[in-house]
Amino acid sequence: MRNKSLLVAQREYMENLRTKTFWIGIFFMPVIIVLAIAVPIWLERTKDARKYAVIDHTDWLAQAVEERATLPDVKKVLRMAIENTVHQEESAADLPKVLREFAAGAAAFLEAQAGEDTPEATLAVLDEDLGRKFMEASAELISGLSDPENKAFDLSKLPGGDQALKEIIVLREALRDWWRSLPPEEAKQYGEQLNKSRYVRVDVDTSGSDVSDVRDRLNKLVAEEKLFAYFEIGPDPLAGNEGFRYVSNNLTDDELREWFERHATEEVRERRLAEENIPEEVAEHIQAPIRFDKKKLSETGEEEEVATEDTLRQWAPVVLVYILWIAIFSITQMLLTNTIEEKSNRILEVLLSSVSPLQLMTGKIAGIALTGLTMVVSWVISFLLLVNFVPKLMNEKMPFDLNVIARDPGLLTSFIVYFLLGYLFFAALLVGIGSVCNSIKEANNLMMPVTVVLMLPLLSMIPIAKDPNGELAVFLSYVPPFTPFVMMNRAAGPPTTTEYVVTTILLLVSISVVFWAAAKVFRIGILMTGKPPTPMEILRWIRAPVGLVPTRKEP
Amino acid sequence: MTYALALEGVTKRFGSVTAVDNISFAIPPGHIYGFLGPNGAGKTTTIRMIMSIIYPDEGRIDILGQSNAEAVKDRLGYLPEEKGLYKKMKAGELLTYFGRLKGMDGALAKERARELLERYGLGEWQDKRCEALSKGMGQKVQILGTLIHDPELVILDEPFSGLDPVNIELMRDLITDMKKEGRTVIFSTHIMAQAEQICDSILLVHKGRKIIDGTLSEVKATAGSGVLVDYDGDGSLLKHLPGVRRVNDSGKQAELLLEDDGDPQRILAALVGKLTIRRFDIRDASLHEIFVKAVGGQSDA
Repeated sequence: MRNKSLLVAQREYMENLRTKTFWIGIFFMPVIIVLAIAVPIWLERTKDARKYAVIDHTDWLAQAVEERATLPDVKKVLRMAIENTVHQEESAADLPKVLREFAAGAAAFLEAQAGEDTPEATLAVLDEDLGRKFMEASAELISGLSDPENKAFDLSKLPGGDQALKEIIVLREALRDWWRSLPPEEAKQYGEQLNKSRYVRVDVDTSGSDVSDVRDRLNKLVAEEKLFAYFEIGPDPLAGNEGFRYVSNNLTDDELREWFERHATEEVRERRLAEENIPEEVAEHIQAPIRFDKKKLSETGEEEEVATEDTLRQWAPVVLVYILWIAIFSITQMLLTNTIEEKSNRILEVLLSSVSPLQLMTGKIAGIALTGLTMVVSWVISFLLLVNFVPKLMNEKMPFDLNVIARDPGLLTSFIVYFLLGYLFFAALLVGIGSVCNSIKEANNLMMPVTVVLMLPLLSMIPIAKDPNGELAVFLSYVPPFTPFVMMNRAAGPPTTTEYVVTTILLLVSISVVFWAAAKVFRIGILMTGKPPTPMEILRWIRAPVGLVPTRKEP
Repeated sequence: MTYALALEGVTKRFGSVTAVDNISFAIPPGHIYGFLGPNGAGKTTTIRMIMSIIYPDEGRIDILGQSNAEAVKDRLGYLPEEKGLYKKMKAGELLTYFGRLKGMDGALAKERARELLERYGLGEWQDKRCEALSKGMGQKVQILGTLIHDPELVILDEPFSGLDPVNIELMRDLITDMKKEGRTVIFSTHIMAQAEQICDSILLVHKGRKIIDGTLSEVKATAGSGVLVDYDGDGSLLKHLPGVRRVNDSGKQAELLLEDDGDPQRILAALVGKLTIRRFDIRDASLHEIFVKAVGGQSDA
């Protein structure tokens, strides 16, 4: 008895393995993952530097913007050099000599501050207040924004600080020269998103001639796309915005203008403060923003730091829900077309002389479940492999650690469990629909309400992720067709154990009910040709006792 | 004597229409049993009830000593009216699958599938997908599918429909082979001539009711004798021949049904010189005639 369903399932599975749809499905996810990881990296790499020119009526603001923009660049490069040195990576040897010397000194200083003698502990100092200030001071010295006499931060008071400071002072000129003379294209290899490689100022001869001539010349260059944009800085920035212009043909990409404005604002603000004779400390004090220290509660109720990984873990379920939805939708669709094909193929009645309708239905559902499971498991495996492999292949670090998802076994396990449960529910529904239809077209009509119902978990995906234990989320968890999606969606919440148990029981009960009804419709539907039955007729079939069906006029 | 299949007062209604009305008959083992009637006579419904795919509203079905075909499914072979194959499966695989569904061991089913395909000239198609088979070959594979598990009783619903003459011949051989192997065969058809050639017994149904059943000779005896004439010329004079009760004239061939005292020799004499006679065959009345007589000419076949 059970054996025959198994045979049907086995055949179904083997046949599906031979279809193109199956293999397209298998390779769909890895391709998407590779694209999702590689395309942004690739886009970033191939992004052209934005060339701009400046007509500066002040003689100092454009220069100051450039200097300010080097600050974050220098910080990034220094940090990269320190990390490579501390981890003793081979690539550290390829760095320029000045950078290597700086990194060695900085590493020694940081090591002296660290409690433990491990690379991780040393680098952790960088994220502490002390480390941040050290980097800030170094970068300011190197980029020329402050000089050694202006000691905003006294390194010499700390163990090894004296030596570190001396080294920076010795190296800063060399480092500054190296960075300035480095061509923008080559700067890319030292870090992501460096201002130097993204925004390149082109020198334009603005001396002597009439300003309107210069404008005409620049307008022409912009029109010919030799320049992305040019800025004109008014004569008195401290007084106001008069005479400030930005000319570009690209109206969508505002990054350059925002970047320039940000740095110009900083410079002008500082000068205004100086004009008003406000001391630097006071200015800093006034401008210091209020920041909240983000904390979360651990399972035991203690406060913990929030890492980027936590945010990722919060949003990972959304991605999983989406994949879950695609998987359930495409696999049940496969079952539907498959049932209709077999029905129009006229093979069903042959099978019915050997197996009962219930065995046939169970076998089909199980066979396709196996197909879907193969697909989903292959997706999970390819995800785990590719997440680590692709960035490495492209010689790039992921901006965030996707392995968080892999390291939380609950997430992937519930993904597979909810895939199975959700599949069973919709499979029974669709196999019932498929059995009464003679063509895909007819089935699509009957599918409409199901599709509408299936849209809801997609629409509620983001609101539920933002408020995983909110009223909407909790309410939808108890509606069986939505349970798999919504509970997956809420995984970051997470829902209480009681909720898990109750919703699962509810889902299992409704799966059995749908199965029972589908079985009744199936045994009549598969033998029927002609017009599909009305919903009322289907209801009558479901209510009729098994032995007495079918009661429909044969054509 | 135990019967391979016995129906007693079986009735099936679909809404207000009675598809099968109080049908009873019994088939002894080893017979080829023809299930005859025009389209819509209730043949397929009866066969589906025999197979327990649908259930009768009234009456009893006794199949291989059981009241429900589910219990003896593995000893039955069934070819439905609407025949299909899995297009993507190889012929050998498909037969093996059918065998295993009937409870056969996998290796045995495979061996038997190979054997059957070889025996019926499809050996080279064993590893070809079913979509590559011609219609005739496809039908052959389907019918082999009903034999793979060596069933005692084979039920074929319209096995001849849609076949060309060569394949009709083949199908006929297959059915007679089944009988030689000791199986009971039931097949339905609406073409009387096919049944006449191979049936041991027949059942004639019309509008859900049994018209007549029995062995072929018993049934034929009820309609008297007749003459089959192949001729060229004006056939209108056939109607006025002495001792002829009725004429089924098709233009080039006519069946003359004789009165009880009708004499074929006198008829032949009357025809000589008036028509060109190519054949003059004295024989029992055809099933077609029996059918027409029984339903009073209201056949829509």
